[in-house]
Amino acid sequence: MLRRFLRINKTKDSGVSERFGIVLFLLPTIILIGVYIIYPIIMSFWLSLYEWDGISPTKQFVKFKNWVDLLNDSVFWHSLTNNIKIIILSLLIQIPLAILIAVIIDRGGKRFDIFKSLFYLPMLMSSVAIGVLFKYVYDPQFGLISAILNLLHLENLAKDWLGDPSIALYSVIAVICWQYIPFYMIFFIAAISNIPQELYEAAKIDGATQTQYFWKIEIPLLLPSIKTACILSLIGSLKYFDLIYVMTEGGPAGATELMATYMYKSAFASFKMGYGSTIASAMFIIITTAGIIAYFATRQKEA
Amino acid sequence: MKSFKKWVALFLVFAFALSVCLASLNAQKAYSSATSSGTKKIVFWHIQTNEDAKKVIQRSVDRFMAANRGVKVEVVPLQNDAFKTKLKIAMGANQAPDVFPTWGGGQFYEYIKSGKVKDITAYMNEKNYKNRFLDGAISMVTFDNKIWAVPVENVAIAIILYNKEIFKKYNLKVPSTYDELLNIVKTLKAKGIAPFALANKTKWPGSMFYMYLVDRLGGPSVFERAANRKGGSFEDPVFIKAGEMLQELVRLGAFAKGYNGLDYDTGQSRMLLYAGKAAMELMGSWEISVIKSENKKFYDNNLDFFPFPAIKGGKGDPNNVVGTLGDNFYAISSRCKYPKEAFKMIQYLIDDQAVKERIQLGRIPPVKGVKLNDSKLQKLSSIISKAKHVQLWYDQYLPPQLAEVHKDTCQALFGLTMTPKAAVQKMEKTAKAVFGK
Repeated sequence: MLRRFLRINKTKDSGVSERFGIVLFLLPTIILIGVYIIYPIIMSFWLSLYEWDGISPTKQFVKFKNWVDLLNDSVFWHSLTNNIKIIILSLLIQIPLAILIAVIIDRGGKRFDIFKSLFYLPMLMSSVAIGVLFKYVYDPQFGLISAILNLLHLENLAKDWLGDPSIALYSVIAVICWQYIPFYMIFFIAAISNIPQELYEAAKIDGATQTQYFWKIEIPLLLPSIKTACILSLIGSLKYFDLIYVMTEGGPAGATELMATYMYKSAFASFKMGYGSTIASAMFIIITTAGIIAYFATRQKEA
Repeated sequence: MKSFKKWVALFLVFAFALSVCLASLNAQKAYSSATSSGTKKIVFWHIQTNEDAKKVIQRSVDRFMAANRGVKVEVVPLQNDAFKTKLKIAMGANQAPDVFPTWGGGQFYEYIKSGKVKDITAYMNEKNYKNRFLDGAISMVTFDNKIWAVPVENVAIAIILYNKEIFKKYNLKVPSTYDELLNIVKTLKAKGIAPFALANKTKWPGSMFYMYLVDRLGGPSVFERAANRKGGSFEDPVFIKAGEMLQELVRLGAFAKGYNGLDYDTGQSRMLLYAGKAAMELMGSWEISVIKSENKKFYDNNLDFFPFPAIKGGKGDPNNVVGTLGDNFYAISSRCKYPKEAFKMIQYLIDDQAVKERIQLGRIPPVKGVKLNDSKLQKLSSIISKAKHVQLWYDQYLPPQLAEVHKDTCQALFGLTMTPKAAVQKMEKTAKAVFGK
């Protein structure tokens, strides 16, 4: 990647000082990536070969025992399944809704500018704050949702949102959508504003309706952005952690356990640093593979 | 213009590098004890986040600093569950605070085995200082015949707190047997009041029911034999029976809706008590002081408590309790540069003035011969003095990995997603893996 970058610049201007400048400016990033990303990844893989409690000075080399354990660990597979559920529901809910909101706001023109800011607000809050907030919203006795349902005399619909293992995951996914739809919305608004005005005008002359605008112009021209959004959502869903940890800690009874929460608990609560590193490494492999597959799958279609 | 841009860019790079350096310097400062301009610095973590309790600690530390001019103490209050992880990471990174709280038990022993904790036996024996504390409390932090921490905060046992107004209204009597408790549960349920408030997101609050059921059914030896691998097993019928009784309670609707998702740290279970939506809560007796500072009116008019009742035919002595004789001991890290000063500071935390202030809070300090004027504390004290055995919380007693499985299986029992039999099998399997037998 770096070499390609340098070569491109070399053809433009091969001055030595220029190249020195490039290296100089890249240096902080390279060091930071090396120290905070590459080194920890290598260390995780290295640690995954050990049994270690995370505090004692001695580690025990156990070769691939942790990896064999991982393959036989039903909790890990269960949490991976939960991750996949989040991916699917995120793709099905977040992206279509975000496109819809983006299109509506775009049609509204200047009058709707205020909604851009309003809808973007959730994105500005930290996940931890959102988690705490929704813990109260979901509270089965005093929560906002229960209160509204009571007002509407729909008490029967009130559920134990975070405490019932069969619905806890969906309650959390709803919050994730609430948090991330604004991000994709802004993303799509930017993409829509790039669509040349002439296309609309041409379509107008041909007598196209609003629906036809949407399906025949906006959606096809948004496709590259949609693909990017899908990849972002895929990777984000696989490494999801903070909100889930604040809201449910992976509970009740493992119902919302994700790979990342399971890794965290193994390493820092059960004192199994080696096993935690194994999960982290497995996550790295899974996410990288998924990312690469998604990248190439979408690139081929573009060509 | 171009050179101007270059300068700006260079400046930005420089500023960035500088800030990274400064940030790492700061991080260093926040953890370890560093000497600056001749003063000795002690970093002290605690988890007394309740406003009044926080003030008591700060006042003790201020007294210490006034008497020891050359020492500066940095007090860092942390939330209970966040603290547990943070300490682990700090220990692993060799950045442990100089003074930190502990409950004793298996988790603490891990740190001792790894050489992270300072042996304070010599300090404790000086002028027979250890004699100031309850013998049971000292024994909870004695490992390998050495003392590793000072009992400070509270004698805390799990009790059933209840709203006496609600009991009076429905003509309910404090139960002495488990069957009577079940009848109360049924009556309250029929009146539309949740019998128990429970915030089991972090899993340890629910574990209290399980511990008491095991204790009342089989006595303390069942757990001890299983946990210490002395001829016992977690597949003992008592553990299965306790799981079944727990699920019976769940099926009876003994717990207010949401119990497995509510958060104890943010007070979601106490709110149910205050609002009169739930009548009882099984919780550590520290909750008395929490309620006293949080809701004085409820404390004065509604709050009362009773010990976990006896189970008919059970082998356990109903006078026994689950809890700890020093809810929060303070230990000194082996990295601490000024252990003598740190120990002296801990002594200020539990000197006569601090003892007086802790009683004011509604706590029983783990020192001998405390005088309690408050009727609630007197009652609590009499429950404790009758106990022949104090069972330390399983999640602190067991080695960490097993403790996590205990909490997980317990929450699954509450969620009815696991059978009592499967739960004990999982415990036994993990125990075998952890202990190698």
